[in-house]
Amino acid sequence: MRALRIAATGMAAQQLNVEVISNNIANMNTIGFKRQRAEFQDLLYENVVRMGAQSSESGTVVPTGVQIGSGVKSGSVYRITEQGSPTRTENKYDIAISGRGFFNILLPSGETAYTRAGNFSPNQTGQLVTSDGYVVQPQITIPQNATDIAISKTGQVQVTIPGQTAPQVVGQIQLSSFYNEAGLEAIGDNLFRESGASGPSVLANPGSPGLGELMQGYTEAANVDAVSEITALIVAQRAYEMNSKVVNAADQMLSTTSQLKS
Amino acid sequence: MDNALYVGLSRQMTLQRSLQLAASNMANVDTVGFKVEQMMVRTESLAPENLNVAPINYVLDGGVARNFGQGPLEQTGATYDLAIDGDGFFSVQTAQGVRYTRDGRFTVNAENKLVTKNGDPVLSAGGGEIVFNPTQPIPAVALDGTVSQGNVSLGKVGVVRFENLSDLQKEGSNLYSVKGDLAPAAAPDAQVRQGMMERSNVQAVLEMTNLIEITRAYERVAQMMNQTQELASRAIERLGRSN
Repeated sequence: MRALRIAATGMAAQQLNVEVISNNIANMNTIGFKRQRAEFQDLLYENVVRMGAQSSESGTVVPTGVQIGSGVKSGSVYRITEQGSPTRTENKYDIAISGRGFFNILLPSGETAYTRAGNFSPNQTGQLVTSDGYVVQPQITIPQNATDIAISKTGQVQVTIPGQTAPQVVGQIQLSSFYNEAGLEAIGDNLFRESGASGPSVLANPGSPGLGELMQGYTEAANVDAVSEITALIVAQRAYEMNSKVVNAADQMLSTTSQLKS
Repeated sequence: MDNALYVGLSRQMTLQRSLQLAASNMANVDTVGFKVEQMMVRTESLAPENLNVAPINYVLDGGVARNFGQGPLEQTGATYDLAIDGDGFFSVQTAQGVRYTRDGRFTVNAENKLVTKNGDPVLSAGGGEIVFNPTQPIPAVALDGTVSQGNVSLGKVGVVRFENLSDLQKEGSNLYSVKGDLAPAAAPDAQVRQGMMERSNVQAVLEMTNLIEITRAYERVAQMMNQTQELASRAIERLGRSN
């Protein structure tokens, strides 16, 4: 009975849905995390009675036909790149992006990765690095004797050095933007990698057209909304249950058939 | 006597198809833009020739009725999520030709075009593609479908409607095709809502009761068939007694 298999596709889809929701909830406090959404599409249709088929020699046609679907499939898991709310941390090395754009991070493999998580800190040589110690690109080195650091909205990094009145510029943070941010490949550790779907990265200073501005002393919270995730979880659970009821119903009908007296 | 079995069988076959439809509705309870479907059955009257008896009414599946009623709109906050409020469809250029959909969860591809999640370009009202400018602010979509970035208008997302919705055929992947060369008309009454998606209009409660009805009807028919069989075997037993 095909209803069994159709219900199975429905249950598999809801399982994926719950997996995506649980990942969102698990990352509720991950800096710069962007929530995801499982998207479903209906599967192929079988034409039992083809619509538009001739129903007589005089040219009358079947008006609606009988088309029966074969279930549901997961189309994609889409990342919603909506802005997360900035959280004040008072940490001078925390930078949030308000608007579009990603920080460039040099991976140990030599590859460039992209992130929205701006909770940086200096390493032993004064370079600005991520919490994993990966160097932020373009490299910014904070002198050892610097007493204060200021990062402007447009990404200019200035330090105050004892004995000097004017602040000294030590670097310029640049942001990458993509045609299709949702097409970036997540590689864990809050990092993304460029993919064929995202298009090439376009490097520019923060605040230039189309790019966001920097906010020093803030981090970007995950854009996960607990209430809507929990609601989605309940809906997914119920949908799973309903599909299992279809399995029951199909099973019951099959057993009725097998109990027919011969 | 056998006729009762065949009539019962014809009903059971339509009930199995109804169950498949209910299963398909239920599996797509979370599919954006999905429209609920229901089986329509009809009776096929067959009068035996030469005999002056009442005709036997078989049950056949007549067609699938699709309810194109509006699904509930849900706010998503995603820039490229569009939903149609009212009667209408988005047009999508696929490799097989133009297809129509109510699923407006679009995205932007590497060439900066507005595309579906399968990568097919979404057509504008004029039949062209919609191309964004990455150096401009996040695009806004007006209620009439006009897409703009800053002060620059990039065209209008095409929303079309059909006089007769039963001309549409489901293709899977949330797409509809239209039979023949039927040209759609513009849908001025439909509103495009950005940051929203249209949920499936499957009503879980209705589907659950539907499911119970189908299983019970199936059991009743099976019982009727059993009784018919019993009647036949008892008749043979009685009439076959020698004295």
